[in-house]
Amino acid sequence: MNNKIIELKEITKIYKRGIEEIYALDKVNLDVIKVEFLSIVGPSGSGKTTLLNIIGCVDHTTSGKVIINGFDVSKAKENELTKIRRKTIGFVFQQFYLIPTLTALENVEIPGLFAYNRERTEKASELLDLVGLGKRKYHFPSQLSGGEMQRVAIARALINSPQILLADEPTGNLDSKSAQEIFSLFSKLNKNGLTIIVVTHNTELAKMTDKIILLHDGKIIE
Amino acid sequence: MTFNQFAFKNLMRNKWRTILTILSITIATLTIFGVLSVDKGYKMAVEEELVNNTGVHLYITLEGCPMEAASVIAQGGISPLYVPEEIVEKIDKVEGIKVMMPFKIFALTTPDGLRTDIFFGVTGEIKEIRPSWKIKNGSWFKDENSIILGYTIALTEKRSIGDKIYFEHFDKEFEVVGILEQNYTQDDGAFFLPLNVAQKLIGREGKLSAIAIQVEDVGQIEKVKTSLQATLPENYFVIPSQALSEGVLEFFGSTKAMMVIMVIIALIVSTLGIMNTLLMAALERRKEFAYLKCTGASGLDIIKLVFMETIIMCLIGIFLGVVVTILISSGFENFLRQHLVVFIPKARIVRVGFDTGILSVVIIILSGLLSALYPAVKTAKVIPMEALRNE
Repeated sequence: MNNKIIELKEITKIYKRGIEEIYALDKVNLDVIKVEFLSIVGPSGSGKTTLLNIIGCVDHTTSGKVIINGFDVSKAKENELTKIRRKTIGFVFQQFYLIPTLTALENVEIPGLFAYNRERTEKASELLDLVGLGKRKYHFPSQLSGGEMQRVAIARALINSPQILLADEPTGNLDSKSAQEIFSLFSKLNKNGLTIIVVTHNTELAKMTDKIILLHDGKIIE
Repeated sequence: MTFNQFAFKNLMRNKWRTILTILSITIATLTIFGVLSVDKGYKMAVEEELVNNTGVHLYITLEGCPMEAASVIAQGGISPLYVPEEIVEKIDKVEGIKVMMPFKIFALTTPDGLRTDIFFGVTGEIKEIRPSWKIKNGSWFKDENSIILGYTIALTEKRSIGDKIYFEHFDKEFEVVGILEQNYTQDDGAFFLPLNVAQKLIGREGKLSAIAIQVEDVGQIEKVKTSLQATLPENYFVIPSQALSEGVLEFFGSTKAMMVIMVIIALIVSTLGIMNTLLMAALERRKEFAYLKCTGASGLDIIKLVFMETIIMCLIGIFLGVVVTILISSGFENFLRQHLVVFIPKARIVRVGFDTGILSVVIIILSGLLSALYPAVKTAKVIPMEALRNE
């Protein structure tokens, strides 16, 4: 039985700057098995975010194959990619992208709104309880700390019950205590059956994951 | 939270910008609804005054211009061209005429200069030719000193049957013998005198303003008109009351053209206002929209969101615009009465109606959606990573 949820085959991503070609990713191969907690580390410009974006179906490859849940997304149409992003993947970014005029609960609901999820309010409430913000549901982002805002963002990423959670530098704007709490939350979610891939600069936190991928100049070193 | 609530809360992020945009929509609605109400009201008022409420099918006058003729026939306008009474005998011989009423009409400004009074010199035929002309109190003229007052002028002058009324201009006193029922035409504000008395008062004995004619069969108006033209000398004009009203409305066309220009300007301003608001909002929220696309929002979802925000602003603006139009319609009516240079009918010329309201709403909603199209499509095309990468 195929236990792989993500398969990357010979992925190359080239950015063009004038006549110069920059290899963000160079023939990367990677398999992620279901319910794996993976971190991608490496210096700035090594291609970590590009790799995460390609897995998240928000960026296209120059060459190579990306297979998510057995479906080749490399040549998928935009509406198919939208469906995958809606149902299979949850995103967490360094910037929280919370809408200032909405409460924590409403912010969490938003992806459910686009997925026409009728139980979104109840689900959002449960998720806020899960991330430890049960008593802050009706607070606005301006009333929350950085760590709390990131936990709201994580709850929001989970509203459509994705199988994969992608996090790009989720602790980049947080103090060490809050960063530790976020990674603990990831561990908890992973134990509940979620596949998680985290891009981070913080090698100490990366050690909390099952597997560490080191990227350098667009290539996987180890 | 519903989609509509989400759109509304998005608008609340920059309250002042949203309020100003709604204000521009309110002004556009006010302009469109106001102009449509004037267009409809003026047309109806002119037709009521010159056609429907008179029972007159044809007018015989020496004024060929419908506007001048309307001014002379309906408002006592000054014209050097008077119809001599002798012509009545010739007209009487034409077949197909049911009632004929020679009349004299003139207008006089009161000594204080605050009011212009209209005086009608009429014959007994007025009761047949104008069914709405009914004496409420009193009777028909008893002698040369009798006067009948319109409903409103009797109230304004506080006169009742048997009271005396003195006109400084003529240095003559009349006795009020009758007061008319209210009929919502210029009759309400007019003084009625026997025809020969009216002619004598202004030194125009034997001269008429025009002759009003009611035909026996409405289907034969054109035939009677042709017969009259054949009977009368060449310099006489036989004008159907419908043509009179159409002529007046044609003159109103230039005023209407100005109002249409106002509407177009108001629409352009509000359209650009909405477009500017949405574009600014879209640019400010570019990263946010990119994130929404990362979370599974499709381009269509984004377009729907932008359109929803537009519709919310339009609906609030329209509501305010309609309410303000209704509230200021009386003031607008008075303003127009003071500044319109064309024929001004007695009846209301600003008529706020359901049909014009619906038309205004449709115009504003369509222009709103049109203005939202570009920002919506531009926003929907945001490539998720392009927006997020630029951090």
